[in-house]
Amino acid sequence: MPGKEKYKQEYFTRFNRWRIIEHQANAIAFVVLVITGLSQKFHDSSVAEWVIMNIGGIDKARLIHRYTGLVLLVLTLQHIIIASFGVIFRRWAPTMVINRKDFTDVIDNLKYYFGMTEWPARCDRFDYKQKFEYWGVVIGGVLMVLTGLILWFPTLVFRWMPFLPGQIIPAAKATHTNEAMLAFLVIVIWHIYNSVFSPEVFPLDTSIFTGRISRERMIHEHPVEYERITGVALEKRHPAADDEAGADSKDVV
Amino acid sequence: MLNRMLVAVVVIPAVIAAFQAAAGASYQPGEEGAICLGCHAEKGMTTTFTNGETLSLHVDDKELGGSVHKNLPCSVCHSGFSPDQHPKRHYKSKRNFTVAKAEACKQCHTFKKGIHVQMLGSLKEGVCVDCHGGHAVQSMKEAGDGCFGCHRYPVTMTFKDGSKHRLEVDENGLKTSVHKKLRCADCHFGFSAKEHPERVFKDRRNFRIVAAETCRRCHFDKYTKTLEGIHFNLLLSGNLKAPVCIDCHGSHTISSGRHEKVRSAHRCETCHEAIYQTYAMSVHGKALLSSHNQDVPVCSDCHRAHDLSDPHVADFRNNIPQMCSNCHANDDLMKRYGLSTAVLRSYLEDFHGVTITYYKKQKNSVRHIAVCTDCHGIHDITKTKGPDASVVKANLVKRCRKCHADAADNFPESWISHYEPDFKRAPLVYIVNLVYSVFIPFMIIGLVLQIILHIWRYAVNR
Repeated sequence: MPGKEKYKQEYFTRFNRWRIIEHQANAIAFVVLVITGLSQKFHDSSVAEWVIMNIGGIDKARLIHRYTGLVLLVLTLQHIIIASFGVIFRRWAPTMVINRKDFTDVIDNLKYYFGMTEWPARCDRFDYKQKFEYWGVVIGGVLMVLTGLILWFPTLVFRWMPFLPGQIIPAAKATHTNEAMLAFLVIVIWHIYNSVFSPEVFPLDTSIFTGRISRERMIHEHPVEYERITGVALEKRHPAADDEAGADSKDVV
Repeated sequence: MLNRMLVAVVVIPAVIAAFQAAAGASYQPGEEGAICLGCHAEKGMTTTFTNGETLSLHVDDKELGGSVHKNLPCSVCHSGFSPDQHPKRHYKSKRNFTVAKAEACKQCHTFKKGIHVQMLGSLKEGVCVDCHGGHAVQSMKEAGDGCFGCHRYPVTMTFKDGSKHRLEVDENGLKTSVHKKLRCADCHFGFSAKEHPERVFKDRRNFRIVAAETCRRCHFDKYTKTLEGIHFNLLLSGNLKAPVCIDCHGSHTISSGRHEKVRSAHRCETCHEAIYQTYAMSVHGKALLSSHNQDVPVCSDCHRAHDLSDPHVADFRNNIPQMCSNCHANDDLMKRYGLSTAVLRSYLEDFHGVTITYYKKQKNSVRHIAVCTDCHGIHDITKTKGPDASVVKANLVKRCRKCHADAADNFPESWISHYEPDFKRAPLVYIVNLVYSVFIPFMIIGLVLQIILHIWRYAVNR
C-alpha cells in the first residue's frame, strides 16, 4: 500500500543493481558486436578494412564477434528465464507486457504532437516507446543468437536437423545481417535520441547509471506509476506549466 | 649575265657529275672479258652434260659487274681458257661441274683456320659457290647470310656424350616464322662465315639451354619475367628438363604463343601430358579442341606464360577468383554463352570470398579457403548446367568435406548458387530480404518522424 509520505521523496528508484549491470553488459556486448559485425557486413569499405586489420585479421574479428555473441546469448537467456520465473512464480508485475493502452497512448501522443489535444498520453512504469525497445532487444537478441549459431556451425545444423532445407543457412545469414542493421539503426537513432539528445533528458538520462529518477520526471513521464506509488492523484495539466511552479503545490491529495 | 654565271657554276658541274655517275655504274669489262663476253653475253648459249642436264653458258654482264671479282680477267677462275685457247671439257653432271669450278677459288682463298677449313675438309656437298655465288660473287657482308650454303644440308655436330645433332635448318620454316626479317647472326651471335667458333656441349639438352640464352638479348622483358617463373627456378635448381624459350616457342620456326591456342596447349602437353588429357575433357578443353574456340582459356591463360608461379602456393590460390573473373565477369564474353557475370560478386560477398579477400590484404593465409576451383574443378571443370549438372552436384559434398569434414549429404544445398536469391530458387531467403527491405525503412522513417514531431512539440510548447 503506497505510503502517504512517498510523494515527498525527491527521487524514485527505477532499476535495481542487477538491471543496471545487465544493461551495461548488454551495451558493451552490443557495441563490440556492432563494430566487429558491421565490419564484416560492409567488408569492402575502408573503415571496415581499418577495423578488421587493426583487430588482427578477419579470423580474429570473427572470433571476437562469435564469443561476444555468446555473451549476448547468456544475457538474453538469463533475462528471459529470470523474467519469466519472476512473473510466473514471484508475482512480479508484468510491466513490460504490451497492452491495449500502449496503442491508445501512441495515438494520444500523436494527437498531442500535432496539437489536437492539450495533454500527452499518461503512461505507467514503462511507456510504449520503452516497451518497443525492450521487445526489440529481446526478440532481436533471440533472432541474432539463433541465426548467429546457425552461421557459426552450419554443418551441425544439418547433422541435428536433417529435415531443414539447405537455404536455411543463407536465410539465416539474410536474417542476421538485416536484423543487425535494424537493431543498429534503432539503437543509434531512437535509443540514443531518447536517452541523450531528447530535450527532456539532455545531456544524458542518468537513470540507468544511478538507478533512480527525479520526482519531476516521474510525474512528467510516468504519472500513472507515480500515482500508484504515492497514492497521490495528479491533476491533468499542461506540461509547460511544470517549469514555473514546484511539483508539490499542484498535487491534489 | 647573272643567269649565265648560274649555269656555269651550278648546272654544268651537276651535269658532269651525273654523267660520270652513269658511266661508273655501267660495267666496262677488261680486254679479255670483252672478248669472252663477245660470245657469252648471248642468251641462248648452253652446254649439255653426260647425264643430259643442260646449263646456260650465258654470263650476265650486270651480275659480273656487281661482283667483287669484276676487275679479274675471266681466265683467273676459268683457268686454261683464253681468247686463244678454248678447250672442250666433259662433266658428268651439273653438280660435278659446279664442284670442279669451285676448286678455282682455292687458288686465291686459302684458309688455315675457322669454319672454312672445317667445311672444306668435311663437306662434300657444299662448295664455295653454293654460298658465295658464281659470277655474282660477293663478300658475305653484302650477300646476306650465307649460312644456308651449309645449313640447308644435314650437317651434324657431335656432343661430348657421343650423340649427334643435325644442324639442318628448314629455310621455308624460317621464312614463315616471326623472325623472318632477322639475320642468322642476330640470334647466333658471334657467328658468320668468317667467325664460326667451335663450341662443345655436353649433350643436346645443354646445347638447347645455351642456345635459348640468345633470346634475352631482344626479349629482355620476357626474360626478366621468367626469372620469377617456376620453370626457370626448376632449371636453376638443376632440373634440366625444365623448358627454356625454344622448348615452347620453337627455334627456327618460331611463332608467337598468343595466336594459336591449340598449339599453345599442345606445347604444355609435351611435359604435362596427364593434365592435358584432363583439360581436353573439360568444358574449356572440349570447346577449344572440337571447335577451335579461341575464347576459352588454355594453360597459359591461367598459369601465365613466362612468370608462371607454383600453383600450390597460397598467393596463386588466393588469386584464382580474380583469374577466373578475367573472363567470367566479362559481360560481352559471357553473353555469348548465356552465363552469368554475377559469379565473382556473389562469391566475394559470401563467407569464402570475404575471408580470402582479407587473407590477401593480411598477407597471411591462415587456412585453405574454397575458391572457384574447389567446387568447379581445376583442369576438369565441367558445365554446371545440362547433363553434367547431376555429376557436379554429386561431387560437391565430397569437395565440401575437404574442409567441413562433418558436412551432411544435403550440406551443399545451403549454397544457393551464384544467383541473386529469387522466389523460385530460394523462397526463404527471398522472403526474409523482402520483409526487411520493407520493414527497415518503414521503422526508421517512422522513428525519425516521431523524433521530429517530439522536438517540434517541445519547441512549440516553449
